Amino acid sequence: MSYCVHCGVELDPSLKKCPLCNTPVLDPNNIPYFETSSPYPAQRGKVEPVRRKDVAIFVSVLLLTISLTCGLLNRLVFSRNLWSLLVIGFCLIIWVICIPFIFYRKLTPYFAVLLDGLAVSFYLYLISRLTGSADWLYYLGLPITLLFTLLLEIFMLLTLKLSHSFFSVTLYIFSLIPLSCIGIELLCRNFLGSPMRITWSAIVLTVCIVFIIAIVTIILLPRVREEARRRLHF
Amino acid sequence: MSKNKRVKKPVRTTWYKLDLSAIVYPTLQRRDFSSVYRLSVLLKEPVKPDVLQKAVDMVLPRFPTYKSAIRKGLFWRYLEPNNRPGPFVQRDINNPCMPMPFKANNRYLLRIYYYDCRISLEAHHSLGDGTGGMYLLQTITAQYLRELGASIRCGGFVLDIHEEPDPGELEDAYMRYSNADVRPPRPSEKTYRVRGTKEPFYTLNIINGILSAQEVKKVAKTYHVTITEYLNAVLLYALLQKQESENPHRRLPVRIAMPVNLRRFFPSKTLRNFITMIYPSVDPRLGEYTFEEIVLHVHNYMQYYINEKLLRGDITTNAATQRHPLIRIVPLFLKDFVVRLFYTRVQDKNSSAGLTNMGALKVPEDMIPYLERFDICMGQPFSSRTNCAIISFQDALTIGFASSIKEADVERYFFRKLVQDGIHVTIESNRETS
Repeated sequence: MSYCVHCGVELDPSLKKCPLCNTPVLDPNNIPYFETSSPYPAQRGKVEPVRRKDVAIFVSVLLLTISLTCGLLNRLVFSRNLWSLLVIGFCLIIWVICIPFIFYRKLTPYFAVLLDGLAVSFYLYLISRLTGSADWLYYLGLPITLLFTLLLEIFMLLTLKLSHSFFSVTLYIFSLIPLSCIGIELLCRNFLGSPMRITWSAIVLTVCIVFIIAIVTIILLPRVREEARRRLHF
Repeated sequence: MSKNKRVKKPVRTTWYKLDLSAIVYPTLQRRDFSSVYRLSVLLKEPVKPDVLQKAVDMVLPRFPTYKSAIRKGLFWRYLEPNNRPGPFVQRDINNPCMPMPFKANNRYLLRIYYYDCRISLEAHHSLGDGTGGMYLLQTITAQYLRELGASIRCGGFVLDIHEEPDPGELEDAYMRYSNADVRPPRPSEKTYRVRGTKEPFYTLNIINGILSAQEVKKVAKTYHVTITEYLNAVLLYALLQKQESENPHRRLPVRIAMPVNLRRFFPSKTLRNFITMIYPSVDPRLGEYTFEEIVLHVHNYMQYYINEKLLRGDITTNAATQRHPLIRIVPLFLKDFVVRLFYTRVQDKNSSAGLTNMGALKVPEDMIPYLERFDICMGQPFSSRTNCAIISFQDALTIGFASSIKEADVERYFFRKLVQDGIHVTIESNRETS
């Protein structure tokens, strides 16, 4: 029988250290105390994974059925143009969005956002095929999709790697909103052949800068931060 | 047989509403958290798993609310009978009270483990409280011993498995007794929260202290209080010391969340939840408390709060929310959102630690020679703190601490105080101390 010299408690013969203060058990007589079996098993348990297969199958079958039936309807009844491509593309977007929630939960959020961006780009491509015009796709549709995918990736990175408190997330949102507005305005001007300068997005930028400075002040001053937390708690 | 005479599947008419406490537990379910508790019994001989499985299969139909699965309705969750195979006994693991996803384990919200001489039962709190779980564990143990040739009579926590379940065992007893004319408001204040390094997922640190119940009783008597009051005071004392060591300049009230078994005050046979929480506390901002003052404070608090009148008022307050017609028609996902928000932002911050005392267990006379002691584990805490659970059988009083943080400061202060008071403590742990 061993006692912890600091805590004064008797230790189970299987313990090599006191679990309360980590003081090692030193027995001058060198009794092989560690050979005694522990009252706790060594094997660790893991939760049985939940079968989400049924929901995944149901969602896939439902989306596939909608796509197929619309395709057939388009081919056999209303065959003036390829309108079913819009429905099929929309079903594909929903399916891709569902991937991290239903099909593959281990998918990293960064890759999931990238896949969503690709799905939206493909949908825009289908629209361009249907309308027969490609200019807007290459100069407006795809660049805006790329811009939003990039900003979402940055937002993910900030919230997952840096602080994700209420004020920090608000700060990220107010920083990314003007970037997206400036990007949209410049891309629209480029597409329309107008001079490359910012107008309405400058107003958004100004408003957001005011909010950003206010939030940074709140974050940097602990007393103001506590006061704001108290007043704004929900 | 004629082709027209098809065997019809019986229409499933049996289902159970979740009781008032059970409504909250599934809402708090996360990928890494479930409200699961563990009760264990240590026998004098190693457990035979095949016999234990047979005993479980024989006993479980007697406990219909435990042989059930949880389902979602539009407005509330409910329990329905589960006739899938299982639950199967399994070899015990190092990290008890793992999360319990509702769709895993053939939808059973129970786990039964064996290891050496120990049988352990883990149950989701939405099925019932510790008393209900103890009925199940003792009935399984009695049947296991009977299968091995022992003659065990029913009584106490051992139910007759050949009897039909009493409707009283399945009732939501809260609804019967929540009939006070007023609804006393519940105090809520930000309290001290134990800070520590969070352990990785799937780690639950257990430290069990085994004491002599007679010794503890003798020491509690010197302070003129009961064992529960004394141990509550020791835990408050440990938490105060921990707060002092962390930040002596910013002190907050230290409060313990302690479930009270309502069956002591309101006669009920229910095997489901029938507990309410009380919050003994001390506020170090008022001045420094000596241990004797803490003991006296806890004693006075318990004397004032633990009585039929105030407890009835408390459960009436709780039941009022569930009975409110506007709340009842809100869809479940909205209720889940609001309850989770309230729990995380208010309820969880309302206490510094949890403490439960199952008290001195009574078992049938015939069973006593086969049993060594009982252990209890309150389960994984919702936030990074420590939970303490106490149970005693004959002269063995077990105090089990469960925490998901690396530091064992609260446990150390707690057990050192007991040693200082002259109580002999033996420590067991699953912590990796090698």
